Amino acid sequence: MSLSRFALSGMLLVVGAMAASAQVKVAPIKFEERVLGNGMRVVSVRDTSSPTVSIHVLYMVGGKHDPIGRSGFAHMFEHMMFKSTKNMPNEKLDRLTEDVGGWNNASTREDFTNYYEVVPSNHLEVLLWAEADRMVNLNVDEKNFSSERDVVKEEYRQSVLSQPYGKLFYTLLNERNYLQHPYRRGVIGNLEELGAATPADAELFYRQFYRPDNATLIVVGDFDQSQFDGWVDKYFGGIKAPEGRLPAEPADEPERTEARRYEETAPNVPFPAVAISYLAPPSESDDIPALRVAETIMSGGASSRLYESLVRSQQVAQEAAFNADIRRQKGLLSLYAIASEGKTSPMLESALMAEITKMKNSPVSERELQKAKNLLISSEISYRETNDGKANAIEQALAYRGSVAAVNDSVVRIQNVTAADVMRVMNRYFNDSGRVVIHYNQAPTGGDR
Amino acid sequence: MNGATRAFTAGIRITVILALAAASSVVFAQGSQEPVPGAPRNVSVPEVREFSLANGLKVLVVRRAGSPLVSVQMSMAAGAAQERSSQAGLARMSAELLTKGTRKRSASEIASAVEYLGGSLTSSSSWTSAELQLSVTSDKLDEAFSIFAESLLEPSFSQAEVDLLKAQTADGLAYSLSQPGFLGSYAASAFSFGEHPAGGSLKSIEGIDRDAVIGFARRFFAPNRSTLIFVGDIDEKKARTLSARHLAKWRRGPAVPAPGTPRIGLAQRTPDDGAMVRRILVIDLPNSGQASVSFNRRVGEGRLADPMARAARRTANPEYYVASVLNSVLGGGYSSRLNQEIRIKRGLSYGAGSSFAWRSDGSNFSTRTQTKNESAAEVVSLVADELAKLRDSEIGGLELIPRKAVLTGGFGRSLETNREIAVQIGALYPLGLGAGELNSYIPKIDAVEARAVKAFAARNMAGFDVIVVGDQSVFGEELRRRFPKTMITAVKAAELDISTLR
Repeated sequence: MSLSRFALSGMLLVVGAMAASAQVKVAPIKFEERVLGNGMRVVSVRDTSSPTVSIHVLYMVGGKHDPIGRSGFAHMFEHMMFKSTKNMPNEKLDRLTEDVGGWNNASTREDFTNYYEVVPSNHLEVLLWAEADRMVNLNVDEKNFSSERDVVKEEYRQSVLSQPYGKLFYTLLNERNYLQHPYRRGVIGNLEELGAATPADAELFYRQFYRPDNATLIVVGDFDQSQFDGWVDKYFGGIKAPEGRLPAEPADEPERTEARRYEETAPNVPFPAVAISYLAPPSESDDIPALRVAETIMSGGASSRLYESLVRSQQVAQEAAFNADIRRQKGLLSLYAIASEGKTSPMLESALMAEITKMKNSPVSERELQKAKNLLISSEISYRETNDGKANAIEQALAYRGSVAAVNDSVVRIQNVTAADVMRVMNRYFNDSGRVVIHYNQAPTGGDR
Repeated sequence: MNGATRAFTAGIRITVILALAAASSVVFAQGSQEPVPGAPRNVSVPEVREFSLANGLKVLVVRRAGSPLVSVQMSMAAGAAQERSSQAGLARMSAELLTKGTRKRSASEIASAVEYLGGSLTSSSSWTSAELQLSVTSDKLDEAFSIFAESLLEPSFSQAEVDLLKAQTADGLAYSLSQPGFLGSYAASAFSFGEHPAGGSLKSIEGIDRDAVIGFARRFFAPNRSTLIFVGDIDEKKARTLSARHLAKWRRGPAVPAPGTPRIGLAQRTPDDGAMVRRILVIDLPNSGQASVSFNRRVGEGRLADPMARAARRTANPEYYVASVLNSVLGGGYSSRLNQEIRIKRGLSYGAGSSFAWRSDGSNFSTRTQTKNESAAEVVSLVADELAKLRDSEIGGLELIPRKAVLTGGFGRSLETNREIAVQIGALYPLGLGAGELNSYIPKIDAVEARAVKAFAARNMAGFDVIVVGDQSVFGEELRRRFPKTMITAVKAAELDISTLR
């Protein structure tokens, strides 16, 4: 789950896939990569097909690094990064992007935070200056801090409290699935702990995590390589290498030994829902491509198994999906469904379980396998249609697989998956003793609907 | 920004941290001067080739190298404007059913065949149009396009699929009606715009049957009301071959009146006293996590200069660009006035904005935001103040230039992918405009003057319907206190009947 600086998005995911196939060649992304003396990584891809440039700065700090008692802090801090610095007034980043016909945003996930801009390419140098400035010169004042904290509280109310399934997907899913790992808090946090945060927390957090050796600059678009390299040296090269090490990663969630079940409620829930989750392997695992294929067979497109079975054939659900939420440490393999009129959450649970059992007990057909691969590969191609899409792909490769080069082998890895691989990972990760089931229904004293 | 404005609460620990932050900025001195942008490069609007088939179908081709993908879109003048309000939702259901079975293939077989090609085939509809969209890699285009054409020309509209879609549409609507933001715009469609909700109401959906769908499709899904757009790795020759092979046999539909017969009355309505808020509708949603606040008004100035003109003579209304600039200043993009006042300055919302939904003969103007129930009434006042400012004072150049850049830059970005180009072009034809409109957008936005925006506001920014959806027990009293002379009507969300709203 990722939270953006600003967005208006629905909770129900549209299950739609984009075009392509196994025979079509996916052109590799040609990138330049170097590491500055202070530890900052710089990746660039020159593409002059449009007179724009996409600039990303990735910091390996996310929701799991929220200080104790400060759930939601990493995300709130992301909002603060648009406030004043030594050299820029509040919202200067908007002046440098929006005001010249560009765009910016930022998002915080469990494992990392990214800041990104798309601007006309003649503005690249100004944005590099600004990104370098907010890496080291941020001011945190009480007034900005408290007003931005109020914005984040409204974001919580909008995403979690005023969407019927917000509480299930933003908070309960994490809280019930993790017993130890900080992933249990969810990136959005909660109103109380957001309220407890102080500017001093922000100063400490900034110093701990916003440092060049925890950052990667990714630039894709219309620029001159040697001019770009010079600007990077000028604006980022002078940032001092920090002393001391980055905080260690938290210990991973232990394997489960016992299944757990929860009955949860919220006001204004129009239809019952259920979520069934298992722990996923970490993002660097070689089992991820087979899990992606399994996810697509079960959940990708209108001919996927869950849609065919639960929505079209049995008509117990208006929506059913499998989401392989892969993270740097153990993520979640979640199947969920929202009931159709008159159907109950136990009906959803047994229908979803039947589909899991099928995947575990018999191999998927060659045609289903090929269809899933074609869908995955075509979505890779269309994802990379824009500069920003390419920058995103690089960012994900780095954050989840630890190398930029990984951006170019994702298609081969998908192509190599066999029906036996899919069956093997289904049996390895979907164990009865590792299952967490959440039933989610209207609170008895809730609203009128 | 001066570092002295920082105001920390207390503590020695904080002082140490500040000292560290200051130390790290010293080494940064070299780059502390903001650099000046270089020379701008031009945005290129793609070249559009156009031809027609004998049955009246217009075909457009935009060739783009770079990635091996093609987006195909059929835009048909067959939206909710073409359905009766008692059958609200018919246009959308008819469009959705196009991909749910033909004489040769079931819905599952269509989905499976297209997805095996790695493609996607979807349909959708809006007030003015219905679309069928295909995305696929260019090597699979022939096979995928034959399924696309089959869906369009030979839909079976089977009883089972109609029944399933009716149930799904009703469920989806019930889901949406539990959200304050959706409830607000749903009510506004009838209450403020004299239309009906494009997706239908629970009651209207119940009344739609297979015959209604077949009748709608026969009248409105026709080549003489449609434009086919190819964008991506395809040339004109290939587009000619494909459209001739698969769509030449598509039969013309009956001549039906152009969309957008002007409504009399609603748009001309002006408040007697010039009041910003004409009336307030409260939709009570107990235990709602937030309140949604919207200002709504039907504007009599539409997308076309003369909606009654013959097809070949239709031109864009110059006021469209003026209204677009007004919207960009008020509520388009992050730094617009509404977001500045409500989110950035006061932290009252995650976001606030505004929009015009264009019809050929008018437009539906709305502002929208969500806030905690406690601050709903305050937000109503803040929005009213911002609307009044547009009427009362001219926008200064320092604000006008960047807000135009938001529009022109956003326009350039909207031409970055095949799908988005098809959507941009597809939106023009059902209204009676052509692809040439893409070339004039940037210069026409750049030419808008502040006084024209003020004049537009003077004509249209008054007499709003305010709709607040949320927990009335929290904000009701303050709302009455702030607007003592305004008519306030309250209705429970569970009892809202769209057909009675006027």
